Amino acid sequence: MIQSANDIVCDTVVQANICIVGGGPAGITLALELAKTGKSILLLESGGEMPSADTQALNAGEVADERLHSPPDRYRQRVLGGGTSIWGGRCVPFDPIDFNNRPWIDHSGWPISYDEVERHYAAANTWCEAGEYEYDARLATPGGMRPVLRGFAPLHFDTNGIERFSCPTNFGDRYRARLRSAPNVRVLLSATVTRLRAARDGSRIDSVDVRATQDNSFSVTADQFVLAMGGMETPRLLLTSDDVHAGGIGNANDLVGRFYMCHIAGTIGSLRVNGASDAVWHGYDLAADGTYCRRRIALRPTAQASMGLGNAVFRLHHPRIADPRHGTGPLSAIFLAQRFISYEYAKRLVSDVPPSYRTWLRHGMNAVIDSPSTARFLFHWLKARTLADRKFPSVIIRPRTNLFSLDFHAEQVPNPDSRIGLGSGVDRFGNRQIRVDWRYGRQDVETVAKSFDLLSQELADQSIGRLSLASDEIDIETVVRRDGAYGGHHIGTARMGSGARSGVVDRDCKVFGVNNLYVAGSSTFPTSSQANPTLTIVAMAVRLAKHLGRVVTQVPSIQEAVS
Amino acid sequence: MPDSIDYSRKPVLILGASGFIGSRVAAALERSPVYRPIAASRRSMVRVDATNLQSVLGALRDVDCVINCVAGKESTMVRATQVLCEAARSLPPRRIVHLSSMAVYGAATGTVTEDHVPVAPISGYGRAKIACEEIVGRYVSDGGDAVILRPTCVFGPGSTQWTTRLARLLQAGRLGDLGTVGDGCCNLAFIDDLVAAIVSALDAPEISGRIFNISSPAALTWNQFLMAFGKALHATPIRRIPARMVKIETKLLAPFRRVGSKVIKAPWTVAITPSLTALFQQDIWVDSAAARSALWLAQTPPDQMIAAVIRDDRIKKERALS
Repeated sequence: MIQSANDIVCDTVVQANICIVGGGPAGITLALELAKTGKSILLLESGGEMPSADTQALNAGEVADERLHSPPDRYRQRVLGGGTSIWGGRCVPFDPIDFNNRPWIDHSGWPISYDEVERHYAAANTWCEAGEYEYDARLATPGGMRPVLRGFAPLHFDTNGIERFSCPTNFGDRYRARLRSAPNVRVLLSATVTRLRAARDGSRIDSVDVRATQDNSFSVTADQFVLAMGGMETPRLLLTSDDVHAGGIGNANDLVGRFYMCHIAGTIGSLRVNGASDAVWHGYDLAADGTYCRRRIALRPTAQASMGLGNAVFRLHHPRIADPRHGTGPLSAIFLAQRFISYEYAKRLVSDVPPSYRTWLRHGMNAVIDSPSTARFLFHWLKARTLADRKFPSVIIRPRTNLFSLDFHAEQVPNPDSRIGLGSGVDRFGNRQIRVDWRYGRQDVETVAKSFDLLSQELADQSIGRLSLASDEIDIETVVRRDGAYGGHHIGTARMGSGARSGVVDRDCKVFGVNNLYVAGSSTFPTSSQANPTLTIVAMAVRLAKHLGRVVTQVPSIQEAVS
Repeated sequence: MPDSIDYSRKPVLILGASGFIGSRVAAALERSPVYRPIAASRRSMVRVDATNLQSVLGALRDVDCVINCVAGKESTMVRATQVLCEAARSLPPRRIVHLSSMAVYGAATGTVTEDHVPVAPISGYGRAKIACEEIVGRYVSDGGDAVILRPTCVFGPGSTQWTTRLARLLQAGRLGDLGTVGDGCCNLAFIDDLVAAIVSALDAPEISGRIFNISSPAALTWNQFLMAFGKALHATPIRRIPARMVKIETKLLAPFRRVGSKVIKAPWTVAITPSLTALFQQDIWVDSAAARSALWLAQTPPDQMIAAVIRDDRIKKERALS
């Protein structure tokens, strides 16, 4: 059943066995997995079925350095489906090394093993509609995928790992019918949770306060509560709920909101590949199940360990769109159409400085001179992206010459000083807005710089091509600062730890010291990996659902105990 | 046909023996040391008009059991059941094994056992099957001996409805990953399991008057099944079919394809009907626990069902044609 919270009478107390706060990928997966237990599930989503400016304004907040981090109301959606409503669909599992305690990375190591997450990736792939759980390029497609660079057999990089692409699946659209038809699931839209109400001794959450968009307020009692609100709202709500727990729930050791990580990502350098153009394949292959798959060039764990680096991957990319010197019509057409591209994607497609009239003109000329390519690109985009349900994942344009740039996507190491806190402004419900103080460190820059150098060396040694940096990219830190925190990946702000001194939640994602409060989502990840977080968010949600399923069948509900 | 007839075997009349299920039952009984099939239809050697009382009476006199597999038009199915029960009433008792369908549950959702009431809307086919069951029920109330089986979608080599049709649509890229449209439970009954259950029902004790669901064990969605079947057929890469394309197929193209199918049998005349897509979305899980217990129903897993179909020559020809 899906209802609007505006239909709930003021001061009502709504009851459920399990209350999930947040209707994004984690919340929806949890609700539908937990529906199998037969217990009553209540899913509270702040947004509606469609985005609204008023609700989206609840995401507003401050950023310490706006050059490094996007505003907090960007890349976050208050709508059923949450972030998946603007998701690109890239699915990649974490690597085993991500879970290890790595001596060269402070605060690394998860209290759970890779295997405990890995066993849920197949289910996560299904939820994300990313096809089979097969991430080896040699097995993912019939006959194996084409090599990125023919003949390239690097010592320090693995080229057989792949990323698979979801449709991309908007969890709100895709699973709305199932949420509606599940007899024991109730979804309340326009229901913003404003406070967690802890019991007097702080050992459990008694209820949560909820405000609807029409300002009627009510409360929810449940046996178990799960916060699935994303990496920014989760610390915000924990910190705001400070009436019993001074400093906020789960924050006895001042860890809530700290260790905020995104990814260090961007586009860098130019790679001129030797030989014929068919020696390079930087596009997608189709798996038998119809999923788009793409190879990556991943820094091996041995190289990470020997050089003291974080995890990182590279992909071959077209030249920077904003620079008209590429002379490619389709890229210039994208540049010219930037006003029609959403902020979240346009930010990385176009220039970080306002283009001059001369730049506009040169892009216009590219589009005209290379108009056959532009027309072919637009037709393909219309057919394979706009009109398709399983969408062609990204812009793939084969350069006229074998000249590419490199996309990098690197781990950001945990840093207690990088944090989400409470700012000075308040939202319309009177709650303090967030303040984002994202910071990168020396090790983050080194991961990109040294792995780039290593790749450059191996490409040269094997006579594959020449990888070089532009004059304004020689200092890699300028590139890191130019692209800033990767949008939409909000990680680590309620990290999992082996004890309350090192984490906010335990190995079961339960908040330390609070017996019935759990956190789902990337805020619990102690480290960020090279991988985009959504697949692991869903895998962890499946894992949490299994744990909660055991909890709710073993522990009598409050209603049962009272009766 | 055997060279000589073994009269020590129990004679069993199969009405509708030229159909997919009837022919498979006849073949199974032919191999049985216990039963002797008398395969009757309008086209077989034993010609019986199932809608004609005298014709059925004549065929019924010398048999111990009857299996009613008559398919076809709704009115034909109802009339044949009426005639069968009327003929059986005028003769000494003998068991009727009547084939019904999961269509009797209509739009029911959730786990469905045999006592589940039909839920509207119910298709014309489903209403006819309900009418047939009522006729058989009255026959049992009057002292007759009958068992009703409700198979789900019967899958297996030779099934035009649920095997060849789906294979053609998958190979044409008109079925595949259906997204929300394919989220319903895929209830398949493997033909060999169904035939074995029919044979068990001929003599199983203390089941007269009972009804049994016949289905597979796996909790699959239609999307999962279609993906697996498509891959086995090498109808890859499996296409994601947009919901709007499904609408166009069912609302716009299906009538034209149906008309075309009267003229020519080709992949492009196979219609994706509204009732088919409604079934793909129906969250119904048909529970066969009663048949497992009373009829020793074996439930072949989906991968083995698909493997059996892929080995079949008819599907090989279809694949070659595509």
